[in-house]
Parts: sequence; C-alpha cells; structure tokens
Amino acid sequence: MSDITQKKMEQIAQMWNARGKGLITHMGLEIEEVSIEGVRVRMPFNPDFCVDRDQTLLHGGILTALLDSVFGLANFVAIEGVSTMATLDLRVDYLRPAHSRADVIVRAHCFRQTRHIAFDSGSIWFDGHENEEIARGSASFALTRGDTSLFEAMTRGKAS
Amino acid sequence: MNLQTVNANVSRVPFFRFLNFEVQSLDSLHVAAEMTFESRHIGNPVMEHYHGGIIASFMEATAAIAVHPDFAEVPAKPINLTVDYLRPAVKGSLYARANVTRKGKRIASVSVISWQTAPEKPIAEGLYHFLLV
Repeated sequence: MSDITQKKMEQIAQMWNARGKGLITHMGLEIEEVSIEGVRVRMPFNPDFCVDRDQTLLHGGILTALLDSVFGLANFVAIEGVSTMATLDLRVDYLRPAHSRADVIVRAHCFRQTRHIAFDSGSIWFDGHENEEIARGSASFALTRGDTSLFEAMTRGKAS
Repeated sequence: MNLQTVNANVSRVPFFRFLNFEVQSLDSLHVAAEMTFESRHIGNPVMEHYHGGIIASFMEATAAIAVHPDFAEVPAKPINLTVDYLRPAVKGSLYARANVTRKGKRIASVSVISWQTAPEKPIAEGLYHFLLV
C-alpha cells in the first residue's frame, strides 16, 4: 500500500469537514482507509434512507449516492492538481436487496486517469459481510486542471 | 390510480420523504414528478449544486412509480441503472419524467429525464431496470 502525504490527508479531513451542509454530512460518512490504491468509507445506518415501514431495507438510490461521493474522494486522493470534477456517467448494479440495519462499507478506486477523464469503480457491502456485496458501480468523471485546486475552492467556500 | 393515492403511498416511504417530491401526473406508462430543493440535497457546497446521487435517486423513485404506481408498501425492485449527467442542477425545483419503454412479465425497462428550466435542457438522463417478480 503506497502512502499518501500527510498534507493530503489533512486536506482531505478539512475538505470533508468543510461540507457543513449537504448530503455527505447527512450520510455521516467516516473515512476508514485512504491510499492511492483506493479508499474505504463507512456510512452508519440511517432510517431516513429506507423504503419500508420497518426501516430495514435501504433504497438503492442512497447506495448510488454513496458510490458517487466516494468516487469523488478516490479521485481527489489519486489525482494531483484537479481543479474541478464532474460526474459524466454512472452505472450501478444492485446485487442483493440491501436488507440490514448494519453500517454500510464502500470501497472505491480510480483505476485510470487521463488529463481530462477519470474512471472509477467500487463496491458496497454491509459491515461484516464483505463476501455478500449489495451493489457494485462504475463511473467516469470529467476533470479540469487549473490554478485553483479543488481543495482551495472547497475551503474558500467555507470561509465565505 | 389517482394522484392523491399515489402521493399518499409516496409519503409513507421514509427515503421518498427525505427526497421530498410529489407526483404531478401519471398514466399507465408515464410519471411526472417535482422535487423541492433541500440543503440536504447539496453535493457541491460551494456552488450549491444538487448531489448527483440525489438526482439519480429521484429519477429512480419516479421510474419505480411508473412501473408500479399502486405499490402497497415497498416500491418496485430495482436491478440496475445508468445515468448520464448533462448539466449541473442548481438550487430550485428539479423535475423528472419517467417513461416505461417496455414492461414484460418479469422485467421492466424505464427511461427517465430530469430538468429544471425546460425538458429541452436536461440535467440528467437515466435508464433503469426493475424486477417485477
């Protein structure tokens, strides 16, 4: 596992915390592992994300949202000098009903980057059931590179 | 299936309440819905754009209702999806229209488009499959 710089780790923590509003905050995401090879993130169980009255079955959409978010983090970690990042397209396969009140674990990585595009894939399972994936997804992202880094843009946004 | 009943069903689903949308019209093959902007929908906090996952979720919800509008408890079972993101979605209402392309005995295929200012300027397009058994 290759290491990433302490500076980048600090930036990630700051950027994540800068998202004082929005879906990522609402999902309560916790970063468990970060490296160039990929990231691992935990989403605590949240009854708001369920479809059934008993609140034990997660809606597929929240898994899609989770993949999209964690792909963004994987890109930030893997790619130097990104200024903006936009999801071009996203494909998600729902492999099993997401029936549990356990935390959700997602693992994602950027498997190819070019000057303009990044390609990511990832999978999701319930904590303790890594061999029973509930969803798998892949996405491509349009990147721009410029003077203002994504980190600067995000943290400046917090100050304003 | 009347609108009132469908929206009553929608309001019973916790995640649909989280999304905060209302079905505006429906027939046997189409559903149109409007989602109200909430700060919890934000993906890019600097620009205050919708999160791509929220857009995909809203489109999935309308697709599921188009397939099975009279769901008693749980909406139609999704198999997979692909979404093309065409423009950022800004603060304000988001609209979606789902069109059931094919509904067989076991599988349904649904295409969905979402927009803000006009359907000719789509925010995202999606294809969704559902298992009917």
